[in-house]
Amino acid sequence: MAKRILIVDDEPRYLRLLEANLRTEGYEVVTAQDGAQAVDVFSNQPIDLVLMDVMMPKLDGFGATQRIREFSAIPIIILTAKGDEQDRVRGLDLGADDYLVKPFSATELLARVRAVLRRAQPPGGDVGGQSRFFTHDNLKIDFARAEVWKGELPISLSATEYRLLLQFAHHVGKIMSSEELLTSVWGPEYRTDKEILWVSIARLRQKLEDDAHSPKHIVTRSGLGYLMPPIEE
Amino acid sequence: MTMDTQTFSYIFELIKIIMKSGDMRKDIEKFFILLREQFVFDNVAVYIEDELTNTLEIVHARAVGRAKHAEADAAWGETFAGHVFSKGKLQIQEPESGVAIDNRLQQAYLLGIPLRANGKVNGALVFVRFGGPAYEDGHISVASVGAQLLSIMLERTSWKETHGELNKLKQQMQLQNDFVSTISHELRTPLGFIKGYSTSLLRKDTSWDQETQNEFLTIIDEEADRLSLLIENVLESARLQSRTLPLRFQALRVDAVLRDVVTRIRSRYKDLDVSLDANPTPPIQGDGVRIAQVFENLFTNAIKYAPGAPVIIILQQVGQNLLVSFMDRGPGIPQESLHLIFERFYRVRSDKAAGTGLGLYICKQIIEAHRGKIWAESPPQQGTTFFIELPIN
Repeated sequence: MAKRILIVDDEPRYLRLLEANLRTEGYEVVTAQDGAQAVDVFSNQPIDLVLMDVMMPKLDGFGATQRIREFSAIPIIILTAKGDEQDRVRGLDLGADDYLVKPFSATELLARVRAVLRRAQPPGGDVGGQSRFFTHDNLKIDFARAEVWKGELPISLSATEYRLLLQFAHHVGKIMSSEELLTSVWGPEYRTDKEILWVSIARLRQKLEDDAHSPKHIVTRSGLGYLMPPIEE
Repeated sequence: MTMDTQTFSYIFELIKIIMKSGDMRKDIEKFFILLREQFVFDNVAVYIEDELTNTLEIVHARAVGRAKHAEADAAWGETFAGHVFSKGKLQIQEPESGVAIDNRLQQAYLLGIPLRANGKVNGALVFVRFGGPAYEDGHISVASVGAQLLSIMLERTSWKETHGELNKLKQQMQLQNDFVSTISHELRTPLGFIKGYSTSLLRKDTSWDQETQNEFLTIIDEEADRLSLLIENVLESARLQSRTLPLRFQALRVDAVLRDVVTRIRSRYKDLDVSLDANPTPPIQGDGVRIAQVFENLFTNAIKYAPGAPVIIILQQVGQNLLVSFMDRGPGIPQESLHLIFERFYRVRSDKAAGTGLGLYICKQIIEAHRGKIWAESPPQQGTTFFIELPIN
């Protein structure tokens, strides 16, 4: 089956350029004009590769890459007009598989697409994406929109609280030490700052748990750390 | 020694004044009024070193006692302040005995205390008492506390000034950086299309049909034009910005300029429906070439964004101003873009090779160089009207 590629750019002439060249190689092409639209298109149909521009209105390419990475391992190539090292490193750090600096030649673009698709091919066959939604008892997360619900009730979380919650959601059943959580959410320089973690977990429980004193979603394992316990069927 | 409540609250009041961040001159005034409640003086003068010339400058002087009406004739301790400053120590100077007792203004008792900033002596505070009494230890202590607090206040003020200057500089650098990064992005965009579409045509592993080839070549051609226009516009707007583009101001009849531009446009775009309502108006001081450029730019926009729609231009005199209304009945400008269209590099994205994002910005620069105003209104479904207001005098 033909591979389907999502191209994201706010310049119609870039969309046309990419689409025309990709079609000659037998790829199917879908388009989006900004990062927010890209995340929406992406979560509504199977996609094999994303070609993502950086400077776009609403959600930029970096933001969209980060959002997609929260629930999917899909290959992403960033197309950037800014060629400086800082920008390339940022793109790769956010989870892009490759980048291409504008202006680029059509043949190089196609070669990069082939290479990234080849690397992404798992030995078994299909490229497996994770689901856009996560549920844990009455807690629901929409990774694509970065939204959280408790039952029918939308919950408003700070950016830090959301990142902390993602750590638990991505590692259900695994005990995470304070140091691990602090390093991945706040950064390595905060790894001994346990108090901010305590406050943040307490606040997260206030928002998410029915009873913050006997939590179901984020449980303390004294002396070891915290975990989101697996839900028993 | 323990501090009694009264002394404590007195010092507290002094500190409250120096920690205020209002008008420094008023705060110094209040500070000396309060200081005088515990330490009597007739004149006070604050001298601060001017770092460029290494000389003392007077920054504050008040006659509050016996010399209130003596104007410049009473003592202010200028020379004495120099001693205090150079010695960096508290100094007292009493009048020589034998001077006539009946004229108190001749009998100046001076107390000078160095002011410090950053641990370095940078000025002197001088108190004057006419006809005594001599300064006693208790008075000297109060005056010394006053001098210390004043030093803090002056230092804080100079930090605030430096901070403000640095912030301004930072903003300027930010603007500069933004400009450089925007311009490199803007130049790279057409270049990216030229490179992308030409390498597509050069691909050896595929063949494009005639129609696609033409489409790609047209895009390459348009983008090359856009790139050269962009470079031209960037240079022009930079010259307008730095005021190195000379404007030739002379008596200018705007109604005549409008008629010329409309004639040119009609010959270039035969199908365009233009109506001009411009009775003769008083001349303004203006550069005819630049004003014509503004109108031509508005036409280019109307043709590009409101194709086929009629254009109506009205010139009228409103008070001491001329007002040009430039209306089209096109699809209009979205409300959220309306306040951005005069910004440098802003443009509404469209499928066509749009402009450089500099046209209206240049119009605004030209009109502002004529001390005028330009703005746009675009009520839903009623097209767009650009208004230009130019002062007659």
